[in-house]
Amino acid sequence: MTSSASFRNRNRVRATTLLTIAILTLAWLAGFASRLFAIVRFESIIHEFDPWFNYRATHHMVQHGFYKFLNWFDERAWYPLGRIVGGTVYPGLMVTSGLIHWILNSLNFPVHIREVCVFLAPTFSGLTAIATYFLTKEIWSPGAGLFAACFIAVAPGYTSRSVAGSYDNEGIAIFALQFTYFLWVKSLKTGSIMWASMCALSYFYMVSAWGGYVFIINLIPLHALALIVMGRYSSRLFVSYTSFYCLATILSMQVPFVGFQPVRTSEHMPAFGVFGILQIVALMHYARNRITRQQFMTLFVGGLTILVGLAIVVYFALVWGGYVAPFSGRFYSLWDTGYAKIHIPIIASVSEHQPTTWVSFFFDLHITAAVFPVGLWYCIKQVNDERVFIILYAVSAVYFAGVMVRLMLTLTPAVCVLAGIGFSYTFEKLLRGEETKEPAPSTASNAKNKKKAKFTDTSNGEEAGVSFTVRALIAIILVGLLVLFVYHSTYITSNSYSRPSVVIQSYTPRGGLYIMDDFREAFHWLRENTPEDARIMSWWDYGYQIAGMANRTTLVDNNTWNNSHIALVGKAMASNESAAYEIMTELDVDYILVIFGGVSMYTGDDINKFLWMVRIAQGEHPNDIREANYVSASGEYTTGAGAPEAMFDSLLYKMCYYHFAETQLGPNNQIGYDRARGYVIGHKNIKLEYIEEAFTTYNWLVRIYKRKKLPNRPVVKKPTIPLEMEKVSQGKNKKGVIRSAKA
Amino acid sequence: MRTLVPFLLVLLAVYRSAAQQTLDEKVQNLIDLTSRTSVVKFNMDKWKNLVRMQPRNYSMVVMFTALSPGVNCPICKPAYEEFMIVANSHRYTSSESDRRKVFFGIVDYEDAPQIFQQMNLNTAPILYHFGQKHQGSKKKPEQMDFQRQGFDADAIGRFVADQTEVHIRVIRPPNYTAPVVIALFVSLLLGMLYLKRNSLDFLLNRTMWGCVCLAITFIFMSGQMWNHIRGPPFMINNPQTKEPSFIHGSTQFQLIAETYIVAVLYGLIALGFIFVNEAADMTKDKKKKEKNPNSILSLISVPANTLAIIGLVFICIFFSFLLSVFRSKYRGYPYSFLFA
Repeated sequence: MTSSASFRNRNRVRATTLLTIAILTLAWLAGFASRLFAIVRFESIIHEFDPWFNYRATHHMVQHGFYKFLNWFDERAWYPLGRIVGGTVYPGLMVTSGLIHWILNSLNFPVHIREVCVFLAPTFSGLTAIATYFLTKEIWSPGAGLFAACFIAVAPGYTSRSVAGSYDNEGIAIFALQFTYFLWVKSLKTGSIMWASMCALSYFYMVSAWGGYVFIINLIPLHALALIVMGRYSSRLFVSYTSFYCLATILSMQVPFVGFQPVRTSEHMPAFGVFGILQIVALMHYARNRITRQQFMTLFVGGLTILVGLAIVVYFALVWGGYVAPFSGRFYSLWDTGYAKIHIPIIASVSEHQPTTWVSFFFDLHITAAVFPVGLWYCIKQVNDERVFIILYAVSAVYFAGVMVRLMLTLTPAVCVLAGIGFSYTFEKLLRGEETKEPAPSTASNAKNKKKAKFTDTSNGEEAGVSFTVRALIAIILVGLLVLFVYHSTYITSNSYSRPSVVIQSYTPRGGLYIMDDFREAFHWLRENTPEDARIMSWWDYGYQIAGMANRTTLVDNNTWNNSHIALVGKAMASNESAAYEIMTELDVDYILVIFGGVSMYTGDDINKFLWMVRIAQGEHPNDIREANYVSASGEYTTGAGAPEAMFDSLLYKMCYYHFAETQLGPNNQIGYDRARGYVIGHKNIKLEYIEEAFTTYNWLVRIYKRKKLPNRPVVKKPTIPLEMEKVSQGKNKKGVIRSAKA
Repeated sequence: MRTLVPFLLVLLAVYRSAAQQTLDEKVQNLIDLTSRTSVVKFNMDKWKNLVRMQPRNYSMVVMFTALSPGVNCPICKPAYEEFMIVANSHRYTSSESDRRKVFFGIVDYEDAPQIFQQMNLNTAPILYHFGQKHQGSKKKPEQMDFQRQGFDADAIGRFVADQTEVHIRVIRPPNYTAPVVIALFVSLLLGMLYLKRNSLDFLLNRTMWGCVCLAITFIFMSGQMWNHIRGPPFMINNPQTKEPSFIHGSTQFQLIAETYIVAVLYGLIALGFIFVNEAADMTKDKKKKEKNPNSILSLISVPANTLAIIGLVFICIFFSFLLSVFRSKYRGYPYSFLFA
């Protein structure tokens, strides 16, 4: 009897394992496949802006080796300052793809590093799904884990940063995040040093990969603190947290970019504070059984007050003395929502740092957004140590995601876990409601469960509660909602997140596909037709792409570390030609590149970013550049007839609209009609004195100008002076000259 | 000839100031006036003497406003307060020489409607800067654009700095309301805890914590943070049809009304799920002979089947409603559920 039962059990275990592996593999495949839209439509190409830098850095590392890479001084960026790349990047991404490349090559699969970079994020999405499965399994049940893994594999909120070609830190960091959380929960549950060390190692990987590691190093201490406050302190917590904290701090300091930050910045201090509190609590627990209650209270109250007071005083003294950096601006902008706009315009100017509308929540999460509160509810209702973690994670992440669109990415895993729990709980309740007599909990297939439910229902009759029909109906509808989620995710991934943004795709009025490849055209032109050491000035958005695709020196790029340099470029763009010429001469600029969408209806062009250039320039040069001078009398931003003189004189306006009014864009448009903004421009007759047009792409999307060398001596302007002389002499000829001849 | 011109000018000046006040007198007068209140309250006489008459070697920054309760001017009061902050900071922090360069004044409509007429003004509040060179009533003085720059103290300070090159360090008297409210709230909370110290069970009440957490998620998921930062209108009226619309047709913008709708929809869907699960629980409860009275729905004696159906209807109706709200904003979204 027992042998047959164990045999059946083993069979079931086997079936469950097989099913789990199959589902996870399928989730991996589905996640991978749904991220390939951009590749299928265009080609295997790196997207956007930051990935171009990452690709360039990876390429450099593969060519020159890891240690050369760590010491790499890039003289092609931030001319004339240069940039120490090795010390200012999170190298995890490059090392990961370099490692994959090395392994493949040593197995005799000659793959170009670009292909590795392009496919890295989709591959890691599968690993994220598996990590999520393990995390959810620890928190709730294997069934919920499978749901969560399937959700995260296709959730648009995560796909947005991990489509093929989007070779960015976030692609691997979410995996590291989830895996660290899983190991943390595991180590908390077991209280073993081994799991805590693994957790620290995983955290090390996360630190090397993404700046968002600060979220982990604050969330885990928060969890520990919450457990202490809730009276759930245990020696397991003590062991896992202390070993995690010590190892993690030492390990994270090995990343050159992080360096001594873990002991010297305020962002890391809460973790240290909790570490201290934990020691005190542990001491209390040790002392409680050994001294009298009276002594304990004295020790507790007196000791605690002194220690807390001392800690606060020491902290402020360290901050004041400059040993510990106060919280950074980006951190403040998370709490004080008006902070960034006033103090750091460069942070506020980035569209990812805007607050989130409800539409983007629904857009990125769909049904999971509606179900995740259910999962949260049941986690709170049936709380235990590890569920406290997911509750804190969800609540803090939903706050951060509300403040910044970009942090949607950290919310998505929490939502997927909790929505998985919500769905799994509901399905379990519905489909297994009556079979509580069955001893072993099973995650067998739905069909099997349904059958069982049917049997029990028919045997128990109607009085038992929810009838079979209703159960089936609910189950079918919930499955329908899940199918809808899959459709939604695929649609969003395909339509919104698979745009390489290097190649722009639009539709002709007749519905045909029209691909604008102007960026690559322009960068290729630069690569072929300019000297190797040419300096190219453009707004910072395009710095990485110019460096990556054209291989030319740039002045500013997307690593916005030097605000005053950016402000100088903004000032040049906003000044009139002669003032800009002066700045450009000082900066050794050879070519200037602007993005112009007036012909191709591309709205993300430099004219629309111009106000930010002015604002950033104003921050550094308030005497020369005033935002008020660049808006019309009614306070509008326009390049049309009502625009102010400073706008018409600015270098950017001239470069964008040079020769623009000489072309007819379509039969019905007026001359000089800007198609991106929908009005006729104000000044049509534009003359350039100090720069000349070098190249304009097919759709006018990128325009490149060359800075003229000054002539040796000023030229007497021929067209004006002789004409006037002639006129004057003609006038005088009739009377004066004749008279003088007479005299 | 050359030496005579300044001499004549001096004579002229002496002659003119004999009739009115000399420059020094005027400045002294102004300093006396601002020694106690930091702004000059103008009536017609003072206005003529101190602002309209040359010579002046100082700037006047004057706010025209209507503070009396009879006049309907909701923003006059806050603008006046901000203006006073600047004037006070000027009085206490600026150097002696700076204080002789810039003076702050105020014209209330109730005190001196003639000045409003003279300046040809029919709106308030307005901030004018009368520079040193400014004279006569022909030229308009420099006006600060409240529309664009706003009227908070920093902006006024920047305006003054732009116009007069006197930089005022704006010192806002610390606002005690927020700390006081927080302190009150905390003390209330602590008081409640103290009163209920014998039964702190409610802190362990998971339903309460659950409600708090769910409220937080609904608040943020419905974009209240966006509302807080961007301050959109509650709803907008269509200019043509005068019909109010609660939902803005763009994905980049949202109205307060629609965020409330969305928050409620999320809540109702979650409630639907909870109903379904509670219904399934009730089945078990019956077996256990309702040992578990903790369940929120145990008070309402709804048959499990009905409850499950209610939950299902909630999920379907409200989710499809949410989807259709989303569709109305996100043009071209192809999927819908139940209704379009």
